[in-house]
Amino acid sequence: MSGLFGAEPVDQAATWVAAAATLIVLGGLLGERRIFGWSQHLLAGLATGFLALLAITEVLVPRLLTPLAADPVGRAELWFGIALVGVAAGAPWLPRIVSAVPLSIAIGALAAFALGGAVVGTLLPQLASAVARPEPTLVATLAGVGAATVSGLVLIGFVHGTPRGRFLTVAATSGRWLMLAGLGGWLGYLLFSRLVLLIDRLSFLVGDWLGLLP
Amino acid sequence: MSDRRALLARLAPLLLIGVLSVALLPDTGTGLRLPSADILPASEMRAALDRLDEDATVLVGFDPDLGTYAEIRPTVRALVADLLGRGATLAFVSLTPEGRALAIAELGRLERLAVGPGAVVDLGFLPGAEAALVRLARGIGPVPADALVAGLPRETTLSGAAMAVVVGGNDLGARSWVEQVAPRADDLEIVAVAPTVLLPELQPYIASGQLAALLATPRDGAAYRESLDLGALDPVTDPRPGAPPLAILVGVLVAIGVLGEAVGARAAGALRAQRTREVT
Repeated sequence: MSGLFGAEPVDQAATWVAAAATLIVLGGLLGERRIFGWSQHLLAGLATGFLALLAITEVLVPRLLTPLAADPVGRAELWFGIALVGVAAGAPWLPRIVSAVPLSIAIGALAAFALGGAVVGTLLPQLASAVARPEPTLVATLAGVGAATVSGLVLIGFVHGTPRGRFLTVAATSGRWLMLAGLGGWLGYLLFSRLVLLIDRLSFLVGDWLGLLP
Repeated sequence: MSDRRALLARLAPLLLIGVLSVALLPDTGTGLRLPSADILPASEMRAALDRLDEDATVLVGFDPDLGTYAEIRPTVRALVADLLGRGATLAFVSLTPEGRALAIAELGRLERLAVGPGAVVDLGFLPGAEAALVRLARGIGPVPADALVAGLPRETTLSGAAMAVVVGGNDLGARSWVEQVAPRADDLEIVAVAPTVLLPELQPYIASGQLAALLATPRDGAAYRESLDLGALDPVTDPRPGAPPLAILVGVLVAIGVLGEAVGARAAGALRAQRTREVT
């Protein structure tokens, strides 16, 4: 039940359109590929249109054009922004060395922020939390030791093709089995969540569209 | 594959859909319960919300994806209702186009329900992914954020934001907030609602304390929803929250049956091959 539609006639029409789209997509499971393919094209078209609308109404106009129109001299950096937008839009017709500039800036900034964040926000805190230390209760201490042991064994499990003794072999094998057990548990959860998604769509058809649910 | 077997394989999805649809109809009462027996995630979420001051500003990073939003939608709506019931001001911001599309739909729904006028602020879409999060994190400090965020009333700042609720998806979610926002906004608590697919990625952040609370499975979400008493804000929640447990049970049994059939067929094939080798 999405609850996104109200009770107006236009909402009823939206429910029918959503029901038709749901039936078409479910029809793909039964081998009906042609209409299912059209629905994929429709989704891609709608997504592209929405992206363009979002870029114009929430980025380019309020953040670039409006401030520039209000103060064309004082916001010199925005002219640089317009130049980058122009170069990105005209990339197919420009020399590669010019058209690569906006893409390089975007990828470089993304990589810099992502890498720095991964080290500061994930790697170091996770390393710190993987170290077993005395906790207020015995159970918590044992849980910490267990977590550190599992982390260590799984890390050793990634040792491939290097000479190692019997102890290391046993540890690496245990690590791989622990990792597989973790993946198995996660896949079980995933199956459960995918069922919830399918059932949500069926609830929409049976409840919102056909009105059979109380 | 014989014609009969091919026809059965073609009709199997239809049969599954039919069986699941029928399983939606009966009321199983208390015989089957969706809420998890382990109420720790729900308790941690309630405890984190209890730490909020009255009239707190809560930043809602709304970036679910279209594919998995249905899984977390009942929990997200219950959490929004819970926060509104505590008198919080919710500032919605999205950093992905999909998240913005869903945020527009949810904000429109809240407007139709006329819930908490003035308590929900639409900060719009911030382009730039991680870079945008960094700018947003700087806005949470003492620097006024009105120049940063489209749609924010000019006199409003995010300096009072005490908590960020991250509704995550596959693109940009709680991990990005922990990596980019948490190191730059010390006093900001981050709680998250995420689809199950992200559970292994986010669980370590709970253990390390970088996330104050996480609801990442349908059962944890159901346990949290069950613990709420929303009163007048009940219409904000889903009219029919969560998937019926009987339908889920039937689906899981079908999945186990399919898996068992596949494993059994493989084992039987190997046994036949071994016998053939022994005979020859």
